[in-house]
Amino acid sequence: MALIRKTHTPSDGDSRRLLRDREGLLRQLDDESAEARRWAALDLAVFPEAAEALCAHLQREIQPAVRQAMLTALIEIGSDAVVEGLLPLLRSEDAAVRNPVVEAFQHLPDAVSPHIETMLQDSDPDYRIFTVNVLNNLRHPQTPGWLQTVIESDADINVCAAAVEVLAEVGALAAIPALTALPGRFADDPFMQFCVQAAIRRIQGK
Amino acid sequence: MSLSQVVPAISYEEFLKFRDFFYRKTGIHFEDTKRYFVDKRLIERILATGNENFRGYFVMLRFEVSGAELQALINLMTVNETYFFREEYQFTCLVNSILEDIVPRKPRNEPIRIWSVPSSSGEEPYSLAIYLLEHWPRANDYDIELIASDIDTVILDKARQGCYDKRSVQHLPDALLRKYFTTLLNGQYQINQDLRDSVEFTLVNITELTQMRGYRDFDVVFCRNLLIYFDDTSRRIAAEALFNALRPGGFICLGHSESMSRITPLFKVRKFPEAIVYQKPLR
Repeated sequence: MALIRKTHTPSDGDSRRLLRDREGLLRQLDDESAEARRWAALDLAVFPEAAEALCAHLQREIQPAVRQAMLTALIEIGSDAVVEGLLPLLRSEDAAVRNPVVEAFQHLPDAVSPHIETMLQDSDPDYRIFTVNVLNNLRHPQTPGWLQTVIESDADINVCAAAVEVLAEVGALAAIPALTALPGRFADDPFMQFCVQAAIRRIQGK
Repeated sequence: MSLSQVVPAISYEEFLKFRDFFYRKTGIHFEDTKRYFVDKRLIERILATGNENFRGYFVMLRFEVSGAELQALINLMTVNETYFFREEYQFTCLVNSILEDIVPRKPRNEPIRIWSVPSSSGEEPYSLAIYLLEHWPRANDYDIELIASDIDTVILDKARQGCYDKRSVQHLPDALLRKYFTTLLNGQYQINQDLRDSVEFTLVNITELTQMRGYRDFDVVFCRNLLIYFDDTSRRIAAEALFNALRPGGFICLGHSESMSRITPLFKVRKFPEAIVYQKPLR
């Protein structure tokens, strides 16, 4: 007993016996075994044309580990088709579907950036809040500018409050004039005044 | 380098081109601040391979069938800074908490499998071996398999030889140094044959899912101070691979400045008295 040396030989799990070509993998996204679905999703990362199917399955997948694998594969593919496929899922009522989309977009700044302005003009305030959530961790030079546009022009107080919260994290001194002006647009709401003051203090490092 | 050799310069555009290529091959991303580090090593390989400039070398690197030069470059670009009993509290956590969590659900005839990745020159896997033998009372009740892997072939050879200088062993108590090492004529310390025989060293690139498929059924993975070299996407891919490598209920130990929760929600956070570690859910 105790320490033993075992020569490492790569194992061939059960899922390896299944077909690993694109069609086989796509079929396995519906397999009853979560393990098989997870491996299929990971292996589909090398097939950019699988983006649409992965997005569709992400919407109905119930196992968190399989959802994460699908998300990783989609991030690896990282194409415009991935963003196009995920955009509708950002409207989902189910946070378990919506949150991974926010996370995926944050990994894909170049692919998602052409859509941000349109997303911020959506008629649904919740959708605009989720877009602000994307901006919370989007490594793109335009991010502070988009947030500033939100607080200058969005009519919904909750969307603006979400943007103020993100600006407190990522904003520069240049955002302070727009922040200072914001409570004037929601003069009846002392909460906004409080949020803005807190954000300005964070930006100034106080 | 001979006097007749002209030291090639690497332009910023070439640095970017190389950075992108190296990232795609290894998942390792170099920030602009690492440019001096990267340029210095690139120039070393350009000259060593008889190329005159980056352009010629880069063509060779991309199209060389054997991949030997890419491996040589990986060996140079990866950092191998470690020593025995580094971040010892995690070894304490292993023997006091992690293994005690694992063994109640493990049949006696099933080995406990522990993976050290990246193993670097072997200090971590050999530390694990010593710690288990010295501090885990049940070490004799179970078969324990120790696999240690790295992306760097030179460092793996060094690990198999198990020879260390004074700096590497400075945190080891004298009694353990005497018990498990032989002092060589050149002043180095070589770890005993029994321990060298107990660790299997293998070459692996953790972001290559194809390679990672073979790494399965581990109870504990030590993956310390590796993910910090990766960018966000590679970290996610690596986290998926580590998840696949673990048995349900298995544990992963990261470096003290790393957090799996910032990478993926796949793992449960487990707060033991000695350390915070991450667990693959049981089901």
